[in-house]
Amino acid sequence: MKLLVVDDAPEMLKAFRDILEAHGCEVYEAENGEEALIKYADMKPDIVLMDILMPRLDGISATKRIMQEDPFAKIIVISAVGKSGLEKECLVAGAKEFVVKPFKVRELLNSIDSLVKQ
Amino acid sequence: MKGIESVRGYQEEIIEAIPSTIIVVNRNQEVLYANRNYYAKSVAKKERDVLGERLSRVIPPFLIEKTRIDDKIREVFLTGVPFDGDQLRYPGGMFYFYKIYPLKEGEASISKVVIFMENITELTRLEEELRDSYVKLENAYDELKENDEMKSEFISTASHELRTPITVINSYIEMFEEGMLGELGVVQREKIQIISSQIEHMIRLVEDMLDTSRLESRKLKIHKSSIKVDEIARKVLDELSRLSGLKEQAVSLTIEGPLSEIEGDGRRITQVFNNLLTNAIKYTHNKGKIDVIIRDEPCDIQVSIVDNGIGVAKKDQSKIFEKFFTGNGSSLTRESGRMGLGLAIAKGIVEAHKGRIWVESEIGKGSTFIFTLPKA
Repeated sequence: MKLLVVDDAPEMLKAFRDILEAHGCEVYEAENGEEALIKYADMKPDIVLMDILMPRLDGISATKRIMQEDPFAKIIVISAVGKSGLEKECLVAGAKEFVVKPFKVRELLNSIDSLVKQ
Repeated sequence: MKGIESVRGYQEEIIEAIPSTIIVVNRNQEVLYANRNYYAKSVAKKERDVLGERLSRVIPPFLIEKTRIDDKIREVFLTGVPFDGDQLRYPGGMFYFYKIYPLKEGEASISKVVIFMENITELTRLEEELRDSYVKLENAYDELKENDEMKSEFISTASHELRTPITVINSYIEMFEEGMLGELGVVQREKIQIISSQIEHMIRLVEDMLDTSRLESRKLKIHKSSIKVDEIARKVLDELSRLSGLKEQAVSLTIEGPLSEIEGDGRRITQVFNNLLTNAIKYTHNKGKIDVIIRDEPCDIQVSIVDNGIGVAKKDQSKIFEKFFTGNGSSLTRESGRMGLGLAIAKGIVEAHKGRIWVESEIGKGSTFIFTLPKA
């Protein structure tokens, strides 16, 4: 399973890599929305984990752009902000799920596994 | 008898006694009458110097110049419409207010007008002072609001920024616990559990901080649905049973009467129960008693959380619902692990539901925290 993780915090990317590789995934990284668009086109990952607040291009805009290119893309937004209304905005943009930091690793992996089977 | 009838015959005394200047002039602007107040203000003038004189010679010339009162008088004679007043600034910072009324003889002809003049210096000064204080107050309010917003903004940003490191730490702890990073020995597992419970505590503190900043900026959103208060109480009591069990406390739940379902935010009401019960457990001695009583009242659901713990002093009972209040002012003797936000958040949530929250307590005997949630 190929995953693209998008987050502007390098420590977060490293943690994602460790979690996902231990789960047997192939992991690609992007540090902002713009980079995510390029990496998505190149790697065609099965699932994208997308942060929201990032420089250059934010996660919601990046989600919309990816969905335009590939309507079958599976994106899970992982937000540090739990504001109400934000979840709806992300789902409207095309995200399949909205997860608030800090998340439970087990729950995140379960979400990824069930989403990839869909 | 009309009120005015009763004073007929006293007009003179009344007019003379009015503490404003009154001057009556004819069409030629010759003075026919000036009241006592006029002579009191113009000490040099005697009645014989004034009567029959032109108005311009009995009031200061600059006053005519500045107000063009002569033109205004002509206008009143011409139109029969009263001149409803204007302010006049005298040199030396005196303020006057004047009005001109036509005195009609019969239907149309106006033979005299009456001029009222009032010294409003004191009034103007007070008004200016008031306006000044108002501006100062407004500036101070803006400044305070700005500070407060900055503080809320800071808390909000800080708690959001804290989420990434907390998430990273939490993720690795979970990976250790799940055995994803190799098997752990008994000692390592025990220590990881300590880190885990501490990071959970930290997450709660960060959430409390965020909730407080949301409450302050009125961004705390209530998502209402049909909720059963007793079910929430049961769930929270169950979750906290380990904590109360450690202190061997007797915890009971009493439901009085069939409870109506109410419209409320289940997650937030859970938080209220959680905060109040955590406090009750914390401030009640080992082997103490905690009773949760839920009543169906005519207009609301009333929840009482009764403990026989250390109690709250009378002087502190109103303060405990303020944020960052932790019992006494000294940060050195403050209990660790608390920021004094739990009750402030509980109050904010209850009030966002249009309910009330209060405490009844006697020091050494225990506390009863009561909150209500309206049915509609």
